[in-house]
Amino acid sequence: MSDTLLEVENLRTVFHTDKETIHAVDGVSFDVQRGETVGLVGESGSGKSVTARSVLGLVEEPGVIEEGSIEFCGDELVGGNWDEHRGDIAIVFQDPMNSLNPVYTVGNQIKEALRIHQGLRGQAATDAAIELLEDVGIPDAARRVSEYPHQFSGGMRQRAVIAIALACDPDLLVCDEPTTALDVTIQAQILELLDELQREEDLGVLFITHDMGVIEETTDRVNVMYAGEFVESAPVEELFDDPKHPYTKGLLASIPGRTAGGDRLPTIEGEVPTSTSEPTECRFAPRCPHAFDACDEVHPERIAVGDPDADHETACLLYDDEFEESPPEDGVVADGGETA
Amino acid sequence: MAIPVIWLGTSMTWYIIFMGPIDPATRLLSEGQVRNPAAYEAAQTQLGLNQPPLQHYVDWLSSLIVFDLGRTWLLYQGSSVNALIMDFLPRTLWLGFWSVLIAIFIGVPLGFYAGMRSNTVADYVASMGGIVWRAMPNFWLGIMLLAVLGSSQAIFGFSWEAIGPNLTSGISGNPDLSYMAGNPIAFFTNPNATLQAIKKVAPAAIVLGSASMGNEMRIGRTAVLEVKNQDYVELAKVKGVSDRALVYKHILRNALVPLVPIITSEAFLLIGGSVLVESVFGINGIGYLFFQAAIQGDLPLVGTLMYVFILMIVGINLIQDVLYTLIDPRVGLEGE
Amino acid sequence: MSVNGSRVADAFTDGRTALWALVGLFLFLLEAGAVLNFVVSLTIDGLLAIPGVDAVGFLTAVENAVREIPTLLSRETIPNQGYFDGSGYEGTFLGLSPAMAWAFRATLVYLYAFAAFGWGVWGYRIYRREYRAADWTPRDDVFDRFRGHKWGIFGLVIVFMFVTMAVFAPALGPTTVDQNMRNSYGHEIDYWDSDSGSVETILVGDANLDSLSQGNDQNVEPWTYDDYGRFHPFGTMQDGSDLFTFLVVGSRISLVIGVLSVALSASIAATLALTSAYYKGRVDLSMVLVSDAVMAMPQLLLLIMLTTVLRESWINEVYSGGFLLALIFAFTGWTYMWRSIRGPALQISEREWIDAARSFGQRPTTIMRKHMLPYVTGYLLIYGSMTLGGAIISIAGLSYLGLGVAPPTPEWGRAVNLGQDYVRTGSWHISLIPGILITLVVTGFNALGDGIRDAIDPQSDSAGGETAGAGGGA
Repeated sequence: MSDTLLEVENLRTVFHTDKETIHAVDGVSFDVQRGETVGLVGESGSGKSVTARSVLGLVEEPGVIEEGSIEFCGDELVGGNWDEHRGDIAIVFQDPMNSLNPVYTVGNQIKEALRIHQGLRGQAATDAAIELLEDVGIPDAARRVSEYPHQFSGGMRQRAVIAIALACDPDLLVCDEPTTALDVTIQAQILELLDELQREEDLGVLFITHDMGVIEETTDRVNVMYAGEFVESAPVEELFDDPKHPYTKGLLASIPGRTAGGDRLPTIEGEVPTSTSEPTECRFAPRCPHAFDACDEVHPERIAVGDPDADHETACLLYDDEFEESPPEDGVVADGGETA
Repeated sequence: MAIPVIWLGTSMTWYIIFMGPIDPATRLLSEGQVRNPAAYEAAQTQLGLNQPPLQHYVDWLSSLIVFDLGRTWLLYQGSSVNALIMDFLPRTLWLGFWSVLIAIFIGVPLGFYAGMRSNTVADYVASMGGIVWRAMPNFWLGIMLLAVLGSSQAIFGFSWEAIGPNLTSGISGNPDLSYMAGNPIAFFTNPNATLQAIKKVAPAAIVLGSASMGNEMRIGRTAVLEVKNQDYVELAKVKGVSDRALVYKHILRNALVPLVPIITSEAFLLIGGSVLVESVFGINGIGYLFFQAAIQGDLPLVGTLMYVFILMIVGINLIQDVLYTLIDPRVGLEGE
Repeated sequence: MSVNGSRVADAFTDGRTALWALVGLFLFLLEAGAVLNFVVSLTIDGLLAIPGVDAVGFLTAVENAVREIPTLLSRETIPNQGYFDGSGYEGTFLGLSPAMAWAFRATLVYLYAFAAFGWGVWGYRIYRREYRAADWTPRDDVFDRFRGHKWGIFGLVIVFMFVTMAVFAPALGPTTVDQNMRNSYGHEIDYWDSDSGSVETILVGDANLDSLSQGNDQNVEPWTYDDYGRFHPFGTMQDGSDLFTFLVVGSRISLVIGVLSVALSASIAATLALTSAYYKGRVDLSMVLVSDAVMAMPQLLLLIMLTTVLRESWINEVYSGGFLLALIFAFTGWTYMWRSIRGPALQISEREWIDAARSFGQRPTTIMRKHMLPYVTGYLLIYGSMTLGGAIISIAGLSYLGLGVAPPTPEWGRAVNLGQDYVRTGSWHISLIPGILITLVVTGFNALGDGIRDAIDPQSDSAGGETAGAGGGA
C-alpha cells in the first residue's frame, strides 16, 4: 500500500494540570489510505477530538504529545513539523458557528487559504472562491461570497467551512463531528456532500463522531475509542455484523431500530472515566456487563478476532485464551463474571 | 434615546440646583448683600427665580438649547459663560484626548501581550501591575508622579524637564494651546509647540488614564485568551496561515471587539476624574472650572457646565455605537 | 420546636460543639466590654441624631458604666503611653518600650480578630457536618471553590484586616483622636527631659507643636519617637499629631460610608432590576432612560454638585456628613449596579417557574422576592464588593478636594491633601502611606469580588466588561 496518507503509531497525548496528568489519548495506532474513510467513534470524553487535534498539531499547553509518531505521506509530524504540511490536512469542526471568524467575510476567509496554497490573488482568487462555494452547493455564490458568517445559516456555514478546507487542496480531511450541530435533514446533505467530494478529490478522511448510524453510512473502517484507547477496530461491515467488545455491542444496541423487540433501548450505564494513570485494569470493566475478576487486574492487549481476513482487533480479556471466561453468545446478556 | 436622556439629565440638574434646599440667589451674594433686600431682589430677578418654577424651567432649558449660557456671577465675575467654556474646554479635551490615547497605546498592547503569553512570569507581572495600577487613587498617583518627576534628577539620574521639549513654566500647569487657535493644522505645522503641549499634559494624562489603562489591559488579556481558543483560529492555523498573520488578523482583530465599549465607557471616568486631576496638576480645564464654581457657590454655572458634560457623554456614546458597527459586522445589521 | 430543642441539647452533649461554644464564650468575654461599648455608643449616636430626644444624661451614665467593663484589647489593659524615667519605662505594659507595647497590642488585636474569624469558620464546619439536614447544598460548592481561589483569599484577608482596623480603631492607635487631635490642649503627658534629667509634664498640644512633620528640618519619620517619648508607627502629620491614629480612625468612616452606600445602592438596584425584569416593556424602558440620564452625569461631578447643594441641610450633621455622603453615593451609584444585574434578572424572569407562580395568582412582590431575588443576590455580592473599592476611592477623592467628610473627622483623602506640600521633602510619609493603604484596600475588595464571582459562577468569563472592578473615577 503505497497510498498510505496518515500513519499513527502508539500516540499518547496527555494534559498536565495542577493536580493530575490526564491521559486523553493513550497509545492509539491507525492509518488512513488515500480514498479511504476511517471512522473514530466513542462517547464524549473518550479522546476522539484530542486524537484529531493531535493529528493536526493543534494540541496546546497544558497538553502535549508525549509519545508515538504521526507520519503524513512518510514524513514524521511529531516534533513540530506540521508547518510543512499545512493545508495538506484540512479540518471541518463540529460547530460551524465558531469555525468562521465573525469579523471577516466568508469570501475573505476562503481567499486567505487560496492565497497561501494556490497563490491566487485579486479577481482570480474571488472567482476561485465563488467556484468553490458553488462546488459545495451554496446558491447565489457570487453574492454570498461577500457576506459575513452571521448571515449564513448553520448548514450553509458548514458548507463554507468545507469550501475553505477544499481551498487548501488537502489530501486528508479530518471531520470532527461535522454534522452534530446541524438539523437532521441538513446532516444528510452535508454527509452526501462530503462523500461526493471525497470521491472526486480522492481524499483520505478521518471521520469522528459519536453516532453509530453516521459511521455505518460513511466509513470504510471503524475504530471504537474508549477512555483514550481503541477497544476495537474493524472494517465497517465486520464491526456491525460481528461486534466483539462489550462496549461496541453496547453502542450498537443503543442505535434505535437495531434491537428487535423490546420497548426500551438498552443503554450503557455510567460514563467514560478520566484516565489519570497508567492502566492496570480494563477501563471499561466498571460498566461492563461481562466483567470478571481478571478485568480488574489485567490491562487487555489488542488481539485479532473474528474473520481472519478482515483485520479485526479488540482489546478484551473475554477473547484472550489466557483467561478462562469465554465470550458470551451474541444477544445474550450474561450476568457479571462471578462464575469464574 | 439620546434626546430624552439629555432632557432628563438636564431636568434633574435644574431640579437639584434651583429647587434644592439652597437658594442660589443667596449663595451668589456676599454676607452683606444678603441682608440688602434690593440686591437680593436684583439677583432673584436676574436668575429668573421670581417667575413661577415652570416658567423658569422652560426659560432655562430653552436658553441651554440655543447655547445662550449667560454670564457668570462669582467666578471670573460677569464674563460670558460661552467664552469661559471656549477658553477652558480645549485644555480638558487636550488632556482627555491624550489620556485616552496613552491608555490605549499602553494598556491594550500590554493586555494582548499578557494574553498571548498567558501563565508566564511576564503575564503575571503585567497583570498584577495592571491590577494595582487600577486601584490607585488618581489624585494620589498624580501627587506622587509630580514628586517623582520633580526629583527625577535625583532618582533616575536625568531630569524630566531637561529631556525632550523644553518646558518653560514648570512640569505641571496649563498646556499652551494658543498656537492652534483658529488654525488646527498648526498641530502638524508647528511640531515643537505640539510636543511641548503634549509633554506638559503627559503626566496628567497618564494619571487620568490609569484606571482605563488597567481595565483595557485586563479586558484585552481575557479577550485574547478567549479568542485564542476559538475554532476559527484553529481553522486558520490548519489553513496554513502564518503565526504572524494568525495573531494580527485573526486574534487581535477579534479581541478588539469587547474593547470598544470599554474604551468609550472610560470616557465617563475621564470626565469625572478630570476634576481631581486638573486640581492636582493645576490645569485650568472645565473640570477645574466646575469644581471652583461648586465650592464658590456659583450654582447657575454649575448647572450650565453639567449640561455641557451631559452633552459630551451622550456624544461619546454615539461615537461608540458608530465604532462598534465599524469593528463588528454583526452589530448594526442585526439591528435592522 | 421540640426538634430544635433536642438539637440544642445534643449540641451540648456532643463534645466538639460544646468546645466550640466554650471557645466562643471565651472570645466574647475577652472583648465583652468593647462590644457593649460599641453597641451603646452606636445607639447613643442614633438617638442623638433624632431631633427632639433629650436623654443625654441617662445615656452618658450607661456609656460610662459600660466603659468600666474590662477588656483584653484595650489601651487600659496594655498601655503604651508611658514615659522614660531615667532608668526604665513607667506606665507601659510590663515596662516595655512604648513601641514594643504598642506593637504587642496591635498584634494581639489581629490575633484576636483572626481567631474570631477562624472560630466562625469552625462553627460553620460543625454545623455543616453535624446539624444541617442536607448533606450537600450548592452553596458548599461555592465555598469550596472560593477556598481554592488564592487571589480571592488574598482579597478576603486584606478586606478582613481592613475591617478589623476599622472595628478596633480606638485600641489600635498609639494614642486617641481625642487626646491627640480633637482636644490636645485638654490632656497632659509626662516625658523624660534629658536636658534636666527629670520627668516633666507638658500639654499634648504643645508637644505636638514640637513634633511637626513639615519637611527636612522638622520631621518625625515613621517608626520613630518624637522628643516627648511618644512612638509614631507612621510618623507624625504636618500638625504634629499621630498619622497612624489618624489613619486607623479614618478607616472607620471610609468603611461605614462605603458599606452603607453600597448596601443602599444594592437594594435600590435590586428593587428596580426585579421590577423592570418582572414587568418589562414600558417600565423597563423608562428605567433604562432614568439610569442613562443619571449615568450621563459623571458620578464624581454629581457628587460634588450634590454635596455643595446639600451642605447646609440638617442631614449633613449626621456622622460628620458621612451619612449624607452615603445617601448621595447610593442615589448616584445604583445605576451601575442596576445595569449589571438587569441582564440576569431579565433571564430569570423568563423562567417557567415565574410563569407558573404567576399563573396560580401569586402576588408580584412575592414572586420577585421569593423566586427572583435569590438568583441575583450572588451578582449583588460581586458588584457590591467591587463597588466598595470605588466608593472608598471616591470618598477619599472628595475629602482630598475638601468636600464630603467634614474636618476634623479623620479621613484618608484628607491626609493625602495635608501632606501634599511635603511630598518632595523628608515628610513624604504623610501623603504616601494613606495612598498605599487605599490602593491596598481597593485591590483587596476587587480581588474579593473576583473570588466571589469565580466561586459563584465558575463559567463566567471575566471578559464581560461589566464585571470590571472599581477603579478610577477619582
